[in-house]
Amino acid sequence: MGLAGVVVLVTLGVMLGPLQALLGAAEPIKLGWVGPLSPPGGYADGQLMKDAAMLATDEINAKGGVLGRRLEVSYQDTRGLPEEGTAAAERLISQEHVVAIMGEFHSSVFLAEMEVAHKNGIPIVAVDVWANKITAMGYPEVFRVAPCQALIATQWGNWIAAAGFKNVAVLYEKTDGGQSARDVLLPILRAHGIRYDVVGADLNQTDFTAQIERFKTHTPPYDLFVTIFSEAGLYPLVQQSYSAGFAPTKHTGLTNSGGPATTPTFWKNVGEAGKYLLTEVPGLPRAKWNAITTAFVANFKKRFNSPPTPQAIESYDAEYILADAIKRAGTTDPKALIAALEKTNIVLGRGRYTFATDHTPDWHYHQFVDAPVHLIQYDTVGQPPDGAPVVWPRNLATVSYVYNRPPR
Amino acid sequence: MDYFVLQATNGAIIGVIYALIAVGVTIIFSILKIVNFAHGDLYMLGGYTAYYAITFLGAPPLGALALSMAALFLFGALVERLLLTPLYSERTERKDEYGLLVTFGLAFFLRNTALIVFGPFPLRPRSFVPGVAHLGSLTVTWDRIFAGALGVALIIGLLYFMHRTLWGQALDAVSQSRESAAIVGINPRLFNSLAFAVGAALAAAAGALIAPVYSLAPDMGVLPNIQAYVVVILGGMGSVVGSIVAGILLGEAEGLFTAFFPDPTRALAYTNAFGVLVLMAVLLVRPTGLFGRRHVRME
Repeated sequence: MGLAGVVVLVTLGVMLGPLQALLGAAEPIKLGWVGPLSPPGGYADGQLMKDAAMLATDEINAKGGVLGRRLEVSYQDTRGLPEEGTAAAERLISQEHVVAIMGEFHSSVFLAEMEVAHKNGIPIVAVDVWANKITAMGYPEVFRVAPCQALIATQWGNWIAAAGFKNVAVLYEKTDGGQSARDVLLPILRAHGIRYDVVGADLNQTDFTAQIERFKTHTPPYDLFVTIFSEAGLYPLVQQSYSAGFAPTKHTGLTNSGGPATTPTFWKNVGEAGKYLLTEVPGLPRAKWNAITTAFVANFKKRFNSPPTPQAIESYDAEYILADAIKRAGTTDPKALIAALEKTNIVLGRGRYTFATDHTPDWHYHQFVDAPVHLIQYDTVGQPPDGAPVVWPRNLATVSYVYNRPPR
Repeated sequence: MDYFVLQATNGAIIGVIYALIAVGVTIIFSILKIVNFAHGDLYMLGGYTAYYAITFLGAPPLGALALSMAALFLFGALVERLLLTPLYSERTERKDEYGLLVTFGLAFFLRNTALIVFGPFPLRPRSFVPGVAHLGSLTVTWDRIFAGALGVALIIGLLYFMHRTLWGQALDAVSQSRESAAIVGINPRLFNSLAFAVGAALAAAAGALIAPVYSLAPDMGVLPNIQAYVVVILGGMGSVVGSIVAGILLGEAEGLFTAFFPDPTRALAYTNAFGVLVLMAVLLVRPTGLFGRRHVRME
């Protein structure tokens, strides 16, 4: 190669730098979304969460994106399996070079994903995973917009005591989320002197009749049946409990923690059996909706022909939180993003988001501590969750009673 | 005593559904000598077909059941023709593996297609018979009673077909020896299609009968598929009677285990494992299952 060739090469090399920067400025900012979109995961909830993220992406890009760049989200189906979560996180980071990850519905899967994110120093926002351990691990990359079990199960425990229940049957799903709920709830019941029995069940269980009949023979009779079940198995559980005359009845109440009692097909599957059931809503009660909540619900219904679940709005807000953090950081550098996320102070569909930075208690770290949670009790068949009476906490209650006992 | 009778009744009803699914697997295995990993998904499709027959065609639940069975009968025949004919070719070297892979792939295809077409949210069809029956001290939903009774009727119908009709006896002949059946003028290809179609129809019936009890979801066939194989192996590969007996036995075992296991906090969680334990215990004593035949392979 002659001198002329060397000069050409050097010139090209010098030009490539600014050229790359020019191209880079137009490159989209890539985010990763993880969640169950097919069996054996909770694909119904996962699909709604993905829809909400898509809505957020389109809205953000319609307003010019972030830092003058379009947002591009890569959706990964984790199928409710930890090994798929690990593979998805690795793919997003190493192949797709995402600047941050958000999503997930299953605590056990998120626990696997966050290990990958932590190893690579990439921020990851937990959308609807409730196990305390997720933030208790203290990884700087991990942030959570959902309430954790310490916040949810505490509400349940306090409500159970206030409503005067004395003898409780607890059926929980044998997952990280279910076990975390059990571990928080039981000490509260003990502290209030409430007797309880606990039964674990696989998430794919659909026939509970034998267990329910066994519960019915217990002496003294249970006055509350607490179910901690996050997937579609709740529907036959509620049906079978009602048909067996166990709960909800005037002798035995029925609760569900986990989410399926707020999905669009809850009433189609349980009918009359769902009346008087109590469930939590990890979002703002209707009376506290702000303009963003109202707009999101309307836009979601219009685009997807289905009302959103509380999990959907968590997903929507999570993407806006990341966009806000990138904007404030002025860069997509992971460390700068994490620092910006820690300083989050933004009002979105579920209220004002901030993340704690202390470790006391351990789950506090990077947890949205003020995550709204309230308990509703259906009193009409077909009632939407945002139309049901709020019974707890009392400062948000829309009715004078703590518990509406069924008449029969 | 009442408690025992109630739990045994519920166990028997579920056992009949297990038997209905497992008998389909057995028939397919007997004739085609393959393990149909998509059987649980045929059960799922049967449930959805009945649901949409009720919802969009306004069919009564019993009519929807018949329609579902007919539709899956035809679908089963189509699947056999399109995907399984290489099993009968001399050029196919590893027939067992071929059957396994094809049906496995079909299972994933059907499940994910169902997710796209039917959507991710569970659905529940109208009850066959709404309400709850109070029979003395027993409280059982009419849907369960109906599912159990019709399941028994279908099984009796199947046994009659297999033993008292020419077609059923021809099916049995093919299951014993394809070549010998061909020599006496029975067309093995026709009966291969018939076997898969009948198996699919029975799975569809189970899905349609149990849908008002369990709800419908694209992955609802995964666990019944596993349970069907426990039943088939327990009853003896290739034995229809064995599948029936084993199905009912498994349903009873699971129900009574949950009802009487000394630790009530663990009973439900261990139920499925108990079923497999029963299987292991039987196989130790009778390796071919309760009514099984030896050396059943694709010729």
